Amino acid sequence: MSIATAPLLLEDTPLGPKAGGLYRRQNALVGLIAGVVLAAIGWVISHALLQGSNWGSDMVVTVTLTCWVIGFNIGIGTFNAPFRWVVGKDSTREDELYGAGVGQGAARYWKYCTDHKVVGTQYFVLVMVLFAIGGTLAMMIRTQLITAHSSFLSPGTYNNIVTIHGMIMIIATIIMVSGPFANFILPIMIGAKDMAFPRLNAMSLWVVVSAVPPLLATFVLGGVDTGWTTYAPLSVQAPPAMDAFAICIITFAGVSVTVAGINTIVTVSTMRAKGMTMSRVPIFAWGSVVSAALGLYAMPAFLTAMSMMITDRATGTSFFVNQLGGAGWLWENVFWTMGHPEVYVILLPGTAALMEIASTFSRKPVFAYKAAVAAFVGIGSLAIMVWAHHMFTTGWAPNLATPFMLTTELISIPTGVIFLVLIGTIWKGSIWARLPMYFLYLFLWNFIIGGVTGIYLSDVPADQFFHGNMFTTAHFHYTLLGGAMIAATGAVCYWFPKMTGRMLNERIGKTAFWFIAIAFQVTYFGQFWEGFQGMPRRIAFYDPIFLRANQMSTIGAYFLMLGWMILLAAIIVSWRNGKIAPANPWHAKSLEWKVQTPVPLENFLVDPVVTSDPYTYGEGVPDGQNQPSAAPEPELVPAGASESTSGGGAS
Amino acid sequence: MSLTTSEHESTDGGEHHHEYLPAVEGAENPGGEHESAGERDKKERLMIWLFIGGDLVILILEVFAWFYLRTLDSNGMWNAAKCTASANCVDGLGNPLIGPVAKASIWHPMIIMSLAIISALFVWAAESASRRKAAKSAVSGPALAALVFMIAAIVVQILQFQVLPFTTVDGGYASVYEFFMGSTLAHLLLMGFILTGLWTRAAKGRYQGGTFHRVRIMRMFGVWIAISTSVLAIVGGFFV
Repeated sequence: MSIATAPLLLEDTPLGPKAGGLYRRQNALVGLIAGVVLAAIGWVISHALLQGSNWGSDMVVTVTLTCWVIGFNIGIGTFNAPFRWVVGKDSTREDELYGAGVGQGAARYWKYCTDHKVVGTQYFVLVMVLFAIGGTLAMMIRTQLITAHSSFLSPGTYNNIVTIHGMIMIIATIIMVSGPFANFILPIMIGAKDMAFPRLNAMSLWVVVSAVPPLLATFVLGGVDTGWTTYAPLSVQAPPAMDAFAICIITFAGVSVTVAGINTIVTVSTMRAKGMTMSRVPIFAWGSVVSAALGLYAMPAFLTAMSMMITDRATGTSFFVNQLGGAGWLWENVFWTMGHPEVYVILLPGTAALMEIASTFSRKPVFAYKAAVAAFVGIGSLAIMVWAHHMFTTGWAPNLATPFMLTTELISIPTGVIFLVLIGTIWKGSIWARLPMYFLYLFLWNFIIGGVTGIYLSDVPADQFFHGNMFTTAHFHYTLLGGAMIAATGAVCYWFPKMTGRMLNERIGKTAFWFIAIAFQVTYFGQFWEGFQGMPRRIAFYDPIFLRANQMSTIGAYFLMLGWMILLAAIIVSWRNGKIAPANPWHAKSLEWKVQTPVPLENFLVDPVVTSDPYTYGEGVPDGQNQPSAAPEPELVPAGASESTSGGGAS
Repeated sequence: MSLTTSEHESTDGGEHHHEYLPAVEGAENPGGEHESAGERDKKERLMIWLFIGGDLVILILEVFAWFYLRTLDSNGMWNAAKCTASANCVDGLGNPLIGPVAKASIWHPMIIMSLAIISALFVWAAESASRRKAAKSAVSGPALAALVFMIAAIVVQILQFQVLPFTTVDGGYASVYEFFMGSTLAHLLLMGFILTGLWTRAAKGRYQGGTFHRVRIMRMFGVWIAISTSVLAIVGGFFV
């Protein structure tokens, strides 16, 4: 006699052979094929109809790559749900479970999967791929600059590489925390079963994937030699590669980041666990929400700017052509409306993650929690009022220089508060010096240099000298790479056990850390030196007086790359063969550490009810005994031990 | 973080069950979703407000571009008002421009604006019918009317492209005006897609029995489309 029993976990639910419908036949390979086929059709038709007309090449490239983006997303399944909805067909429970990856094992990582943990893992891998490409391009730039008149790259190729390096890094840094961690970790952290809109979540990921090939296609379409800011009129005069660049940005910024930002805000606003009041929300959630809100302001501006530019190029409008009634300043205003908030879109989630790390490894609550929240909101508010400091040297509205200098310098106040919150949190704490803390220390060092040098650039007279030279390059690398990316790396080390079910190899990780920490200073102090000497940015050849500084920077860059490669090796080795992670290796207090690893499909087997803030370290413990518990964690289901769908990233 | 666990308790109000709800035939509560209509509505309303917020940024920048280029009038080429035979004005193709670029007809944008507003009013009527649990046709009828008016607006917008007295190459005014038209068309097409869904689903009885939430979401978006269309129509029509 057999007795039928209900599955214990949702992911073990047996599905019928038709569950998922069309999704069963769709994956990344189908997307690739559909994208290529539709792009080929688009090229044939547009070439036949438009090539001979004015701006024919631009129109053909625009149509072809738009077809690629649409085709890929048809193939992967982005449009299934909207079209099913519009014809009145709803998905069944089995369809939803299939969409969440049930019964598909590792194949779900190649599909339009709605499980936020799978999407977070997909983002994590995508970010590493983008950094690998962007980093390789950076090495080519530095190799060119190791001698004053290197023939390694032609000037045109050098400029193209500078542009695409910049844009790939901007894309990667925008999603490096909000992609992996705001997807995988954030919902668990607030006690939610998933993101608010799981399909939109998957869409935000696959849309980025479809946006990257057009960016890389710029190399075969004549290159974009304008720098990532693509100032007009250079952008209007550039080869058809500029259209590919614009398609990438419209797809990435206009669709993916906007949708992802909406999803993050709605998730935190409406799906918190019972009892999780706003003052009990983990600080990482605050940082993510403010970043998403800022992105919701900035990215539509990027979409608008690029749309205007592509119409200038492909239909003959003249938004940015002065002699035809346009204005280059219009581009600069609209672009920097996006450009400066975007810095904080990148920075805030990472610094918020560091606050979690600081609290966990100091065994102390986040210092001045409310001030930290206020600082995030303050930065978000001020960030939209500083855009014109990027235009001090352009001659635009000189009377506005002083107000913009003031707002820019004002923003150093909430930024300083964030710095003080981090210091205050670790101050007199019982420091547990694990790898995430190493990166926190490095962030503090780098960010103070990045912040202080930023004040010089916000100052109108000083900016006249520094604006177009390598000082600026060093400054924003200290801020975005030394600050945001180091913070993101700390977050990787911190949440790696939860995401993969394995402990990150700290021995290799710390080796990588020291390479990165030291080589970073060598690289970018070299660039500050170049800047003080007056070396302009974006040049392939330079006067020999800058040679020493460039050699210093290039040698530092090689070692920096080596450090990142060692860290990548640590990630890969640990993910494959690392020590099995307990559910809460850091003895942390927030909700993501309270669930088992691998995390079940809907995160919580029973709904949590929160009764305190997430930083109750030391409560009820006598002074001086606030140490991490030495007691072993209870044995939990190890990652990779079952073939179930749990724990995105574990299998 | 201290916590207790409580089976079947809500994340925010007592209805969030762990299991999936069974499929409800005919209602806007498909079997695949395991939230109450109220919970979903809360999320979707916030989503649509945020989407409108993002779209508002685009609208503001479009209007900014209009007034910025109009004020700057660089090279006298906002609408070539000062161009004469001796002024050596040329368009984007290098052809000489003599005299100002002709203005677009005021009627097309006004008609489009009116149609978008009427369409939004019909969506509102559909929402009211859904709220008061009226018969199926009381929802699907206005939904179909809204769709028809939206299609009419799309058609008029496309027609306007055919009859414009200038092309994209004719300076700043022509550029921004055509950008407004493209932006309006994109919004109308998106709304047309949504209204098609509203109509087909209303005809299947999805919005019966008080399940009005998603109709309200569509009404909010429809009103926003009407507003943004109106703003662009007024700016483009009256501030040349």
